[in-house]
Amino acid sequence: MINRKLAKVLSFRYKILAVIFLVLAGGLVVLPKYEKQEGILPEALLKNAVSSERYISTDELADLIINQDPSFILIDVREEESYKKFSLPNSINIPLDKLLSEDSNSYLNQDQFDVILFSNDHFYADQAWLICNRLDYNHIRVLKGGLNAWFNTIINPEKPSENQSVIASELYSFRKAASMYFGVAYPDEFKAKPVVKIIPKKKVIPKKKKKKMPVEGGC
Amino acid sequence: MGPLIPNDIISHEWSYIIAILIGLAFGYIMEASGFSSSRKLAGVFYGYDFVVLKVFFTAALVSVIGILYMDYLGYLDFNSLYVHPTFLWGAIIGGAIMGIGFVSGGFCPGTSLCAVAIGKIDAMVFVGGILIGIFIFSELISFFEPIYSGYYFGNVTLVDSLGISPYWFVFIFTIIAIIAFIVVDIIRKKNKKIFYN
Repeated sequence: MINRKLAKVLSFRYKILAVIFLVLAGGLVVLPKYEKQEGILPEALLKNAVSSERYISTDELADLIINQDPSFILIDVREEESYKKFSLPNSINIPLDKLLSEDSNSYLNQDQFDVILFSNDHFYADQAWLICNRLDYNHIRVLKGGLNAWFNTIINPEKPSENQSVIASELYSFRKAASMYFGVAYPDEFKAKPVVKIIPKKKVIPKKKKKKMPVEGGC
Repeated sequence: MGPLIPNDIISHEWSYIIAILIGLAFGYIMEASGFSSSRKLAGVFYGYDFVVLKVFFTAALVSVIGILYMDYLGYLDFNSLYVHPTFLWGAIIGGAIMGIGFVSGGFCPGTSLCAVAIGKIDAMVFVGGILIGIFIFSELISFFEPIYSGYYFGNVTLVDSLGISPYWFVFIFTIIAIIAFIVVDIIRKKNKKIFYN
């Protein structure tokens, strides 16, 4: 049996659909507008912030430099004056206030190299890391302890006492060798020749990787 | 959250499988709603059947309203969706050729394959024509190249070039669509009824 009431309603079905369309589209216009959050989601930022991948230790960095690993860029986020006094070999200076300028964008926002940020300690570098991470730049890491840790561990390593473990003395010998690579002389090592290696400051111009073409479609 | 594939919620490798599934559903629904009939498709040009216009207008409206609501609620990032780049004269000339093919052959490329699937001979001839066209185009690509990749305007949208809010644009677009539906219905009623399948 045909439901007469339903049939009566259904005879207006196109009008009803048109009204629904108008209401939905009109709803878009009258919805209260709000400023959208830019950058990555807070959860993602928090996840990145607590990840151990965020920091690189001075020992790891020394190893990378000595092995002439080509896959990273060192970025000094201190002021230009401090950068001119001393910095790590091959580092690029991008002061914190110029972090978002167009020139620095090509160094920070790329997929090809690991970017290692450092400052005197890791305080400024962490700020730079936070900004870069919110903008969803990839492969940004911070030198743990910054240049202070660099001097305390690599350039002037502390000699372990005799009752410390083998690992400590191995670490010490690595650090000592590294410091010799960076030009520190040890008078008691009569064999060691102080070689001051001046590595020319080289600018790395990263090439942007081509993004995968999305799938196109049509009728 | 979305789009799902660019945000790696679904990995890139799945995109082809998902495309096949969507394609199957698309083809099934087109065939089920009579889009494999060239008489129905060509009806929009002769004024006795406007289902093509209605379907495509409705589909565009549903998707654009849905996208904007999902963007508003934060389920989808409107700005990371793919926008097809505009090659102005390529699009105009290509559109004209496609229109001529549509009115004379009675199919658009998608519906022709749909009709081949149910065994229509005219659709097979049509698909053969498409393949010949592709062959000629590929052979003469160096000749067509300046038009094909020239007049490039980038990934522009109507909202960008008109400089109005997308919400207002969609509202106006909805009104235009509804007016178009009413007008084509009047035209259809004025024409003599044609029976076909």
